Amino acid sequence: MKKIWIAVGVVSALALAGCGGGEKTQTKQAETAAPAGGAATPDLANGATVTGKVVFEGTKPVMKTLDMSAVPTCMNAHKDAPQKSQEVIVNDNGTLKNAFVWVKAGLPDTTVWQVPATPVALDQNGCMYNPHVIGVMVGQNIDIKNSDPTNHNIHPMPTVNQEWNESQPPGTPDKMQSFPRQEVPVAVKCNIHNWMRAYIGVVGNPFFAVTGDDGTFSLKGLPPGNYTIQVWHEKYGTQEQQITVGAKDSKTLDFTVKG
Amino acid sequence: MSDQDKDPVVHSSLSKALVIWSAVLALSMVWGLYDEVYGIRPWKGYQAKFEKLYHHYLSNARLSEADREKQIKAQPEYKMLDRDTLAAEKAATPEASAIDAELNGSLVPKILALNDPFQEVRSHIGALTYQIEVSKSESTKDSLRKQIVELKAEAHKVSLPGEAEKRSMTFPDMEKQLAEWKARKALKLQQRVDVMKHATELRAQRDKYLSDRISDASLDTLSSVENSLAKFDIRIRQIHIKDVDLVDRCESCHMGIREPVRLTAASMGGEAVFTSHPDKELLKIHDPEKFGCTPCHGGNGAALSSVEKAHGYNKYWLWPMHHKENIEAGCQQCHVKELVTEQADTLNTGREIFRRRGCIGCHRYEGFDREGDEIASVNQQIHQDEQQKAEWTREAGFAEQAANNPKTTNAEAQKLYAHANDLKVRSSGIDAQIEQLDMRSESLVREVKKVGPSLKEVRMKLRKEWIPVWLEDPHVWREGTKMPSFRLDKDERQAIAAFIWQSGVPGDLPSQKSGDPEKGKEAFETRGCMACHSMGEGGQKQGGTFAANLSREGEKATYDYLVRWVHNPRQRTAPYCPFEKKDLTAADYQKRGLPFVFDLAHDKCPNDGHELQVQQMTPMPNLRLTEDEARDIASYLMTRKHSNATYAEASFMDDPALKNKGLAAIRNYGCAGCHEIAGLEDEQRIGTELTKEGSKPIERLDFALLGHKAEEEGWMTHKGFFEHKLADPAVYDQGKEKAKQDKLKMPNFNFSKPEIDAVTTFLEGSVDASVPPRYFYAPSDQRQDVIEGWWLVRKYNCMGCHKVHVGQTTVLDDMARYQDPDWRDQKPPTLIGEGARVNPEWLMRFLNNPSLSETDTNRDGVRQYLKARMPTFSFSDGEVRKIVRFFEALSSQAQPFIPDKLEPLTDQERTMARQLFTSEGAPCLKCHMTGDPAHDARATAPNFTVAKDRLKPGWTKRWILAPAMMSPGTAMPSNLFVKPGDHWVFSGPLPASFNGYTKDQADLLVRYMFQFTPEELSRLRSSVGSGK
Repeated sequence: MKKIWIAVGVVSALALAGCGGGEKTQTKQAETAAPAGGAATPDLANGATVTGKVVFEGTKPVMKTLDMSAVPTCMNAHKDAPQKSQEVIVNDNGTLKNAFVWVKAGLPDTTVWQVPATPVALDQNGCMYNPHVIGVMVGQNIDIKNSDPTNHNIHPMPTVNQEWNESQPPGTPDKMQSFPRQEVPVAVKCNIHNWMRAYIGVVGNPFFAVTGDDGTFSLKGLPPGNYTIQVWHEKYGTQEQQITVGAKDSKTLDFTVKG
Repeated sequence: MSDQDKDPVVHSSLSKALVIWSAVLALSMVWGLYDEVYGIRPWKGYQAKFEKLYHHYLSNARLSEADREKQIKAQPEYKMLDRDTLAAEKAATPEASAIDAELNGSLVPKILALNDPFQEVRSHIGALTYQIEVSKSESTKDSLRKQIVELKAEAHKVSLPGEAEKRSMTFPDMEKQLAEWKARKALKLQQRVDVMKHATELRAQRDKYLSDRISDASLDTLSSVENSLAKFDIRIRQIHIKDVDLVDRCESCHMGIREPVRLTAASMGGEAVFTSHPDKELLKIHDPEKFGCTPCHGGNGAALSSVEKAHGYNKYWLWPMHHKENIEAGCQQCHVKELVTEQADTLNTGREIFRRRGCIGCHRYEGFDREGDEIASVNQQIHQDEQQKAEWTREAGFAEQAANNPKTTNAEAQKLYAHANDLKVRSSGIDAQIEQLDMRSESLVREVKKVGPSLKEVRMKLRKEWIPVWLEDPHVWREGTKMPSFRLDKDERQAIAAFIWQSGVPGDLPSQKSGDPEKGKEAFETRGCMACHSMGEGGQKQGGTFAANLSREGEKATYDYLVRWVHNPRQRTAPYCPFEKKDLTAADYQKRGLPFVFDLAHDKCPNDGHELQVQQMTPMPNLRLTEDEARDIASYLMTRKHSNATYAEASFMDDPALKNKGLAAIRNYGCAGCHEIAGLEDEQRIGTELTKEGSKPIERLDFALLGHKAEEEGWMTHKGFFEHKLADPAVYDQGKEKAKQDKLKMPNFNFSKPEIDAVTTFLEGSVDASVPPRYFYAPSDQRQDVIEGWWLVRKYNCMGCHKVHVGQTTVLDDMARYQDPDWRDQKPPTLIGEGARVNPEWLMRFLNNPSLSETDTNRDGVRQYLKARMPTFSFSDGEVRKIVRFFEALSSQAQPFIPDKLEPLTDQERTMARQLFTSEGAPCLKCHMTGDPAHDARATAPNFTVAKDRLKPGWTKRWILAPAMMSPGTAMPSNLFVKPGDHWVFSGPLPASFNGYTKDQADLLVRYMFQFTPEELSRLRSSVGSGK
């Protein structure tokens, strides 16, 4: 084998002298992106703030009373005031409660955001989820509690994340769960009490909020940039608006949902 | 001119020519050497490159692997395990060392020292014993025996380690001593294992912790790969399979194919040639050492001189390598009997298109015309059996006659009588066989389906004017329809329409009152219709593609017929007698004084007793809807139409003069291949058989005038022929001068590119395989049941509603409605693991009648809370058997099924189990049905009180412990039981009666369910009450 190569070498030296250099072999190297630095947190001092409200327009829909008659324990929890469905709650000031507002696009892909160490609570109380809508960051723990004397099962039905369904009998310790991928929203259901419904917005950044009794939201510490803000509601779906903010800006962004 | 002037030596020089020729010589030598070393051996270049790139890859991989390993080893869990392991090892060391010291210091040397003298005497005794055995004289034997006795008594001086004095030992002494020491050695070794047990377990745990977290090749694998790469040499790599004389040298260039680490083009410097085989599992099943490469992939495995030649992409190589989009063609040649081959999705799609879109209507393909072929073979078998029986009966008669003859001796006569009796018994066996075959033959009449709808009932079913419009181009009227577009001119269309209309069987249907379209819409969308049918056009389309899109149903159908059809699609207006070859009328029945009743229970011809075709030849099942619901759905469907559609008057369809012309055209285009048409029930297929189309000599594929073009453009191959034909079936008529009836008839299916790829894959693989029989996939075990079952699963579109295999989605899964959290629980059950779940006897009953009730059929027997309903398919017995065996086989269940014997339940246990089932803390009865209508109105899960008949106990226990393992996303929650010790216990609050109960509580519930009695049912119901 070696001899042949020597022969080739000699012959090519003789015949190809002056014919230019030999071939070059290039090996492409797989390029790897530089790993991102440490995890970022919202810069409350220098970042921008976007505040606003989700206004409801139209006739306030009448929510039906939930039928809990199959389970006396649940019935008893609401014997004074029968529980209404929480699908649409219009606040007294004409705003919409339980709308989930989040920064859908515009943040740099490379930023890795710090996941808050404190979990977000989701309580099963009176055979209802409390709160009805929550937001968490990807990887942030949800502290699921059963305050009822009855058995519940927690059954999130995501389409991007993995689905699971676990029993939580009364008196058992809280469950700590998190979702590894961004998904707005993840519907949660209890199969045993099939009226029970909660929604979890799982976001890859810390800029999200759920409108409360005053229908407002506020996203604080946004780096300067151009963003798509989305609002999601379980009945009225999604809406998006673009907004550009500079450092320390304070801007207002209202959404109107037609009933 | 002088002579000197003429002398070339004098005035002309040869130096120029010499220089040129010597340069040519030198260059040709260079070229020759280049060609020798590299030119004709391009694989050498590949190998050198591979070595370099692989080396580079490995060193990179090692770095990141080492990093990852370091990270994992830094985890507190690992550190703890590591610490514990070392500590346990340390703790065990003194004792282990003491044992080792005794073993190695004393026992083993002693055994060795004694063994030699012992063996010496033993072999001597052995030799003497042999001599005794071969010696013939008793005296010699005696003297030899004496010698043995003396030998055994003789004392030997044995020197043993650790003993100063030599011991004097006889043979039995030595034997006894050795046995003693050996026993002690075994004891000590066991002690050592026991002492180290804890440390060994911890070490295994620690190593597992590491290996569980490193998915790719570990450092060990990388090192071994690096070592073998160090010995890398450039040589031809070939697989030689002797019995086929197959030589595949593919791996001379594709060097990464079987590497233990997974190589991608990206990791190998962008060189796709060095990637590893994408599916290691597949390679495990088809070991290249046994199968080679080219039997699956095609190409010229022996060729090495160029990529084109090796891949067989040159004109004279008959088996070019399959292109990427058709790569599964290689599977078809050996997996010929399958409709569904695992991991061959493209091929499966191709086969399914061939079956479902009606290619099979015109082209025979061995194995696809299952019922037709089986009818032929069953009839032939019956004929043979009858002949055999007649022969044996005759022979038995002769034997008896001969035996009766007085001249025959008694012994002879008895023999003859016995022979005659044997023949009679065997004949009766044939009777049993014929009985089975007859039943099968009846079954088969029920099993035959047509690709398209029956055209016998058009007069009752269709709006007359719609027919010619539809014929003009079905794809224009209904996008994506199964019916292909024929290239018919106006005369042909009119004639065909006229024939169909005039040959339709006459009849009057009862007039139906109208239904509620709103309710009908809801029913249509939720009952399960959309698992096969789609609704909506363009982007609005929802539902399945198995059956027709019904967005314009209201334009073509008549309401009365539609009601009847929705209510029971199998109901015919007239039965067909294949023997008389006619559609029977009421008059045929009247003649015999019989009512005009024909169904599966009345399926014999009144004229001649032959089996009738009493059902529509459609796979569409009966949903067991009420007549009202059928009217609602039909009313809804009648609203589905384009408001602006107009249909021209079509009185020509009644012109008798057109009928014969129409018949000729229908015969020409082979309409009866897919449709039932009166008078054309026995038409033959008009197309060419395609079973071996992929290996038909290329010159026999008629490229017509496109031959040159195909050659120029490089598609003068089977693949090219199929692809062009499928994209445009008239393509090879281009430029030809032909009479209308001589033109190519194949209609246009408007296949998409992926569909063309799939069908091409199927056809390219349809070859007269040149591989030996052992290559063919022809399992004789349960896997054969799986192959058979798939044909039925596809035939009836089970996968529209059910998940049958892992990774599959159903039609309903993709529909908008079923994304809603409430509707998700309304999906039909998954059938993955069905064989392990249900009792096959029960499954058989359920498949025959999914309502599981003779009287109340307007329900689902298991899941009454589901809107979508398991329909009645009127399976034949043969089909039911195949489906049950399919599921049993998929779950590797032993047949026949023998249920487990469960430990009997004590009265106390029964009470405990009932209390647990009904307790507030346990959720079981919140969802599960009990059969009590008041309770079941809210139920969302199957009736567990009938679990005994329906389920298998082992499965039931696995299910209640971890339902998400079997059916991810199920409504049944996990974590209902925990296992703090050896037993499973319920994770919630337990009734007081459980205090002190030490047995497995999951077992208790299973035993309770499987020893359920009607008395227990009433006790259970009374303790639940209906409001709880």
